Amino acid sequence: MFDVNEIVANAMSVMRTRVNTLASNIANAETTRTAEGGPYKRRDVVQVAQAVEGNFGSVLDEVSLSKPSVAAIVEDQTPPRQVYQPGHPDANPEGYVSYPNINIVESMTDLMSASKQYEANITVIKTFQNFARRAIDIISG
Amino acid sequence: MGIFDIIGDRIAPGLQKAMDLRYDRTKAIASNVANVETPGYRAMELDFASELERAFGSKGTNDIQVTNSKHMNVSSQGLAHLTPDLSGATKADGNNVDLDLQMGKLSHNGGQYELAMEFLKKKMRMVKLAIRSAQG
Repeated sequence: MFDVNEIVANAMSVMRTRVNTLASNIANAETTRTAEGGPYKRRDVVQVAQAVEGNFGSVLDEVSLSKPSVAAIVEDQTPPRQVYQPGHPDANPEGYVSYPNINIVESMTDLMSASKQYEANITVIKTFQNFARRAIDIISG
Repeated sequence: MGIFDIIGDRIAPGLQKAMDLRYDRTKAIASNVANVETPGYRAMELDFASELERAFGSKGTNDIQVTNSKHMNVSSQGLAHLTPDLSGATKADGNNVDLDLQMGKLSHNGGQYELAMEFLKKKMRMVKLAIRSAQG
């Protein structure tokens, strides 16, 4: 039960980080000025799997229960989107303004996907709770 | 020694093992669902039928009859084996978890667990009934 809690809790935490990152990206889709200079840079969550000690004998060594975790949050290094807006305070001498490379539609679908995965993990943990409850029922039944 | 050993019930250990395997199989599904977005993660599976066969040392799927009641003793079972799950297509990032398939498996597995549980409860009720009848 504990290894499952660990896996699902980790997955939910990673999903939350994803949603937070997406929220930051969506909120700053039009931010042209940051403390580091230049427009806001899109952030991406890098996710890795970590093996969990489970009570399994494995046929293959590389097969084991895994929990996801956030390895890093990286900034998008692609050049910013250039929009011709000569009147804008952040426009360069040629009249172009650098906007973050953020596609709102893409970000929204990612957000929906992360939220669905969060729900899927909740369903898994509910299944385990049900198992435990039903096991206790054997004696009372 | 459990109550079912005392009364020589040979079905209950099977039900118990089935529930154990259903529980372990759900662990594999939990890991798959948790890692649906992890690049390079390979889905895993616990083959229920082959694990049950292994536990009872029988090759036939339908017969769990034994010549000696000790053969049914599965308390000294080995650990269940995880195998790669190849049901989903591999995505560009090397991950092959299909969330819908996994959720389907989760639901099916939960139902089978409940089923085994119901049978076990019935058996338990029969034992209780027998004891109560003897009390008069």
